[in-house]
Amino acid sequence: MSRLAWIPVGIVLLLLPLYLEAPWLKAGQYMMIGAVGAIGLTLLTGQAGQLSLAHGFFLLVGATSYTVLAGPKGDHLGLGLDPLISLVGAVAISALAGMAFAPVAGRVRGIYLGVASLSLVFLGLYLGQAAESLTGGTSTGRDPATFKLFGFPFSNEGDLVVAGVPIRGTERIWYLFLALLALAYWLARGAVRTRIGRAWRAVRDNEAAAAAMGVDVRRTKASVFAVSSAYAGLAGVMTVLWFDILKPDESEYGTYGVNTSIAFLAMVIIGGLGSVGGAVIGALVVFGLPQVLTLYSTDLGWFTGSVTPVLVSSFVYGAAIVLVVLFEPGGLAAVGPRVKHRIRELRS
Amino acid sequence: MKRLLAMTVALVLPLSLAACGTKGGAETNTGSADGVQTGVGVTDSQITLGVMADLSGPFKSLSTAITHGNELWVKDLNASGGVCGRQVKLEIVDHGYKAETAKTLYPQLEPKVLGFVQLTGSPIMAALGKDIETDKVTTTPASWSSELLGNPYVMIVGTTYDVEMIDGLSYLQKQGLLKDGDAVGHIYVDGEYGANGLRGSKYYAEQHNLKLSEVKITSTDTDLTNVVTGLKGKGVKAILLTTTPKQTGSAAAASKALGLNVPILGNNPSFDPALLQSPAASALNKLYIVASSVPYSADIPKAKEIAQKYQAAGYKEPPNAGVPYGYAVAEVWGSVLRKACDNKDLTRDGIHKAMQQTTSADTEGLVAALNFGSPGAPATRQVYVAQPDASVPGGTKYVQQLFEADQAKTYKAPHEQ
Repeated sequence: MSRLAWIPVGIVLLLLPLYLEAPWLKAGQYMMIGAVGAIGLTLLTGQAGQLSLAHGFFLLVGATSYTVLAGPKGDHLGLGLDPLISLVGAVAISALAGMAFAPVAGRVRGIYLGVASLSLVFLGLYLGQAAESLTGGTSTGRDPATFKLFGFPFSNEGDLVVAGVPIRGTERIWYLFLALLALAYWLARGAVRTRIGRAWRAVRDNEAAAAAMGVDVRRTKASVFAVSSAYAGLAGVMTVLWFDILKPDESEYGTYGVNTSIAFLAMVIIGGLGSVGGAVIGALVVFGLPQVLTLYSTDLGWFTGSVTPVLVSSFVYGAAIVLVVLFEPGGLAAVGPRVKHRIRELRS
Repeated sequence: MKRLLAMTVALVLPLSLAACGTKGGAETNTGSADGVQTGVGVTDSQITLGVMADLSGPFKSLSTAITHGNELWVKDLNASGGVCGRQVKLEIVDHGYKAETAKTLYPQLEPKVLGFVQLTGSPIMAALGKDIETDKVTTTPASWSSELLGNPYVMIVGTTYDVEMIDGLSYLQKQGLLKDGDAVGHIYVDGEYGANGLRGSKYYAEQHNLKLSEVKITSTDTDLTNVVTGLKGKGVKAILLTTTPKQTGSAAAASKALGLNVPILGNNPSFDPALLQSPAASALNKLYIVASSVPYSADIPKAKEIAQKYQAAGYKEPPNAGVPYGYAVAEVWGSVLRKACDNKDLTRDGIHKAMQQTTSADTEGLVAALNFGSPGAPATRQVYVAQPDASVPGGTKYVQQLFEADQAKTYKAPHEQ
């Protein structure tokens, strides 16, 4: 997209909270969480060719780190730091956790790496339950601190009215998430377009050739794991802010479970492996569709009985993966250029 | 040219949005023609109550049954003229046991309803707890953990898991199946449900010097043979279960196979009549189930009446204990609504006040008499004790009618004041 085309998109996104009701804003915020996480995974899996099913685990690491760093001292361990510092700290801790996985990532590849990384999700499930002083335990969970930026709370506190619309917690969180997503997107595009991205792609395509060209393969692999985990960690912080609670999963299917890891992988595949913009679109499909479908159908009274929107949307995104793999391996990100190309062909 | 086009779009799009007019503010409480104060979810002719059910996820069968129970009550109530001169309507949504779906559906549903008759799923309850408190929506969760009572707007119909355990242990001791100083093993699933059951057994163990061995498992474990073997090594005189029905079957079968032959005490959700058709059926004779609500085919007139109505309504799903429970919950809501109507206040604050004034909600025996008068305390501490019996419809027979143990009377729930 040309740089100019971003302006209307940006303005619309900034104005939406003045028009959309709370449920739609909530749904939009959830898509932004997905987008941030998916950008991280597309760098790792798409750009650097490292399959990972551990995204759910790193989400939990980020979520827990923020809650502990910003949390008040009390029943649970809390450091009471400033929320902004806690957010940055949580992202850093997630990056370190990703780096710690580097020795494994350096030794195995492909599907083996995928399975090895899956073990982290189960480790997360156990730690979430066992480390009650950090996570609050599965029984009650733990309240995260309200996010504050230089004293301005992202909650219903205080009166702020813009164009006759009260800007409350939901609207404020929208702007926070939008800023975080924009930052995440910009940094990822930057990395992909520069040397760092070239090193990732070199490692993906041929490790021996990459090494011959002077790319430190082991370091590159470790660094891309760290970057991807940092993104997942940020998505984790956004998740606790969105849910207003940190609650570790009771089984392997949950907010930080295997299903979440697979959902992120689905976003990356639907969007087109390695495409940053595609990851965002993938998040709109995978995280957005169930939400939007549910909201619309309750508004309009569709789907009665056993066929529910939750069920339908899981079929739709399953079908989307199959269709993408069959007809457009480049993902949704490749559809735009293809259409453009076709139009140009028709013109000439 | 291209640049000009982009600029135009950039200017026109936001402007056209601005022309549509922004969203409005919140509505406020108003009086109505009949002198009753009304607010969210209430009009002159209708009261809307919300149901956030799991109609497609793991608790589909229970939640669907509860929903049908809710619906049957609404039908009965409206046929008899409604409440406060208004008909009751249910707004039912399915969240599929997904917390993220529930979190988005909530702001859509909340502005339309006076309260929630049903909210299924502990992850969903956790995700919405704060919202419910902020919006002051009285809510009945389909979960019986006393930890939830820290939220003043939570109305648990029935007793809580911890009290069930205390009553159950006291029953075993009265029957001479257990004595002070015995070793007992408690197997529980990690999470809100298990932790709350454990709280009860810990309390009772302290009072009676029981040597309690705790075994934490996850809800997806299926084979408990090794766990039961370990408990046998510790010489337990009873096994306590806060588990899923499948796990109950496994524990009972293992206990029989190992010749352990001790009584097994289970919380209400640990038994499902389907177990009687499972390979573990022959091992269930030592199982005691503690519950404060009746099974589907209980031998009381009200339960029989509901079973009849369920058949007549033509629902496709096979019924279970969720049906009478769902009816009972709605019936309790009925008492609260009537109380609020007498107070001439059908706002959310009015409902909350009416709930606290409801000190003897009667469900004609479907659930023990309920008292919501003391914040943080379970509404009842009475339970039935039942044993599996394939020969009776519904699969369980009572061995002890409603009773309340002395230890349960003195027990202090986590949020009790």
